[in-house]
Amino acid sequence: MTARIRIEGLCKSFAAPVLEEVNLQIMPGRIHGLVGENGAGKSTLINIISGLLSADAGTLELNGQVYRAPSRPQALQQGIALAAQELSLIDTLSVAENIFLSALPQNFMTVDRASLRKHAEELMAQVGLLAMSAHTPVAKLALAEKQLVEMAKALSMPADNCQLLILDEPASALTTPQVEKLHQILRERVATGLSIIYVSHRLDDVLSVCDDVSVLRDGIIVSTAPTTYLTANDLITAMCGQDLLEHRESSLRQAGDLRLKVDQLSSAIFPQSVSFECRRGEILGIAGLAGAGRSELLHTIFGLAPDRQGRVVLLNEGTEVEVRTASEAVKQGMALIAEDRKTQGNFADKPVSLNTTIAGLGKLGVALAVLLPRREERVSKELIDRLQVKCEGPRQSIDRLSGGNQQKVLLARWLQTESDVWLLDEPTRGVDVASKLTIHEQLRELRDLGACLLIVSSELEELTALCDRILVLSNRKVVATFEGGQWSNEQLLAEMFSAHRGQRAVNH
Amino acid sequence: MKTKSNPSNLFSRISLVFEELFIFLALLALVLIFSLAADNFFTTRTLVAILTQLPALTVVTIGMTLVLISGGIDLSVGSIVALSSAIIGVALTVFELPLLMAALLGIAAGGCAGLVNGVLGSYFRLPIFIVTLGMLEAGRGLAYMVTGSQTIFIGPSIQALSLPLPGIGVSPAFLIALGLVFISQLVLTRTVFGRYLIAIGTNEIAARISGIRTEPYLNAALLISGLLAGLGGLINAAYLGASDPNAATGLELSAIAAAVIGGTSLMGGRGSIIGAFIGVLIISVLQNGLAQLGVSEPFKRLTTGLVIILAVLIDRWRSRR
Repeated sequence: MTARIRIEGLCKSFAAPVLEEVNLQIMPGRIHGLVGENGAGKSTLINIISGLLSADAGTLELNGQVYRAPSRPQALQQGIALAAQELSLIDTLSVAENIFLSALPQNFMTVDRASLRKHAEELMAQVGLLAMSAHTPVAKLALAEKQLVEMAKALSMPADNCQLLILDEPASALTTPQVEKLHQILRERVATGLSIIYVSHRLDDVLSVCDDVSVLRDGIIVSTAPTTYLTANDLITAMCGQDLLEHRESSLRQAGDLRLKVDQLSSAIFPQSVSFECRRGEILGIAGLAGAGRSELLHTIFGLAPDRQGRVVLLNEGTEVEVRTASEAVKQGMALIAEDRKTQGNFADKPVSLNTTIAGLGKLGVALAVLLPRREERVSKELIDRLQVKCEGPRQSIDRLSGGNQQKVLLARWLQTESDVWLLDEPTRGVDVASKLTIHEQLRELRDLGACLLIVSSELEELTALCDRILVLSNRKVVATFEGGQWSNEQLLAEMFSAHRGQRAVNH
Repeated sequence: MKTKSNPSNLFSRISLVFEELFIFLALLALVLIFSLAADNFFTTRTLVAILTQLPALTVVTIGMTLVLISGGIDLSVGSIVALSSAIIGVALTVFELPLLMAALLGIAAGGCAGLVNGVLGSYFRLPIFIVTLGMLEAGRGLAYMVTGSQTIFIGPSIQALSLPLPGIGVSPAFLIALGLVFISQLVLTRTVFGRYLIAIGTNEIAARISGIRTEPYLNAALLISGLLAGLGGLINAAYLGASDPNAATGLELSAIAAAVIGGTSLMGGRGSIIGAFIGVLIISVLQNGLAQLGVSEPFKRLTTGLVIILAVLIDRWRSRR
């Protein structure tokens, strides 16, 4: 049998070599995992295959024929599609229009809306986007839904022409059930002879869906093997060259004084009122399906939501302070790391130093307070070192950093304000394994220093590894609280679905 | 490895210390070209002509640049200049108030207009483009009403402001404008206020999450722009020796052009007052130089337009590297 795609001696350098003599072979009907730390060369490799970059040396063969694709459309024409990690959707167009953007069905000169809708809805049903019209503008979708649209777009290629599908972090915004649904679709597709390259940091996903997996390290493929006998720990060892897998500590720690009290809180974006407390030295997890209101809850607590009712009180050595707005929250020691780094976190095109110190400037009190650039850079440098941020220095633009390092800079921003009430929304999304461990380590250290942390995550493993308690949201309501490690993934999942099931029953 | 990274470090260090270097070199090149092309360009008379015309556009451009950096735009500055100078003219001639009183009234009027822009644009969340477009019409209308649609002749009392001081050779208005350029550059780059304007213009949501109350800062930028346009009205009245309700028509576009030539982004978050001031100089040198060459008015405008577009192209090319 000839390989679907065969890569031999592939090299690519930018300033330094990024890929060195990469050999890879993927057979028809297989899902091939590709893992590696950020900067290992995964993006470069898939960009070459999908026609965004050209190789410096080496050959590519598609079904035994020499394959050359100087551009994305030319790769598509030969049956190679890419669902990119950075979403490529156009916000103002509808879901259907986005899915078929490169091949809109036509009636003479106009778009055939009926046929567009029909085909789009078939694909949307497949990826699990059931509850919405195909004519919904993409701008109204949540991040997870956008990711599913991106997937539908990649699947929209006619089956007879599709040879190879490349998926770059297809599941980073998805919840566990959505991921399972996605994997099921992928299995169905490969049964018809399609091949898939599956790039992801979520090793459990890779192990469960892929037939084979290759590990890239510093531009070299260090191992390729069937997934049958592999564990996540094997992959991590291959990726970093050392054993980094974290172990959950077994000793139960004593939580400290009450620090955060949320009392009958609700807002326009989180309508059902919620009450809970969090102590110093405690990590409170927030679990829920995408769209369950997890981010909305954090934003409401932080004072960013309109029509807020109820109280958020911070307690500190006998004093109580009520927090109403985001600026009060920051002054009182709260920190928020929002879900979407690009639109809600980074100050793009600005140096790392500005990005680390901006939240701490409020402490200077007066607006005409003078900034001292040298001092600012020193402060920034200390934080960069402390968090092992890989960058040239405080003056480098934040855009030049990898996702994991950008996330560390966000962490640094709030370390600088000496916050002790942290709200973290998907703190390790799209972050490489090594950065993820650094971030986890930092969060544990904060906890040990007496901070109270609220963590939203779609990865149940992450919640289990970090949290002392877990609050489960379903359909914008708190449906359960699990104490001190007394939960299983099955229990969490059952609660996450509970209110959504109820709603569906009502609809019938 | 170390030697490899040094040149780029040196380069970035130079451009950090003096980011406006390129635009300054462009200005020098322009002066050189006109000096060679026109026999009488590099004379005291031309220099004095340029320096007396400059201050009004300069102070207005300072405000415009701050507003652009915060992510907004102020289309009403030309009309506010006219309104302020109209009020000053009437205060001096009809009510016979002292010059200082009249000047403060004019500046305060500019401040009021800026405050209306600011409150509507920040606390009421109306699109700043539309609010200031409304103020462009309203301000001009008020200027006509105040002056009865007539040019009010004020006389030499006010002109001292824009006449060269003996011994120094530049006018008090120019010194005020120059001082404001340096002060506001320091405010922009070395104070929390300036840093917040940059942060809000770069990413307003991230700024709010970082604990910055955005409304007061957006409001302040438009208020300052109004106050500076009010000052521009005073300087304009001094330059003309009269209050002309038609004065400063389209000045907002010159101010935007000067800011953009100086490297300010219309998308917000990036810009420099010194750069904008050099932009003002470039526009003035271009206008005067072309006039000296005896070029026709249409050709002058064509050239100015092309220079603006060229400046943006160069800036784009620079920031891409």
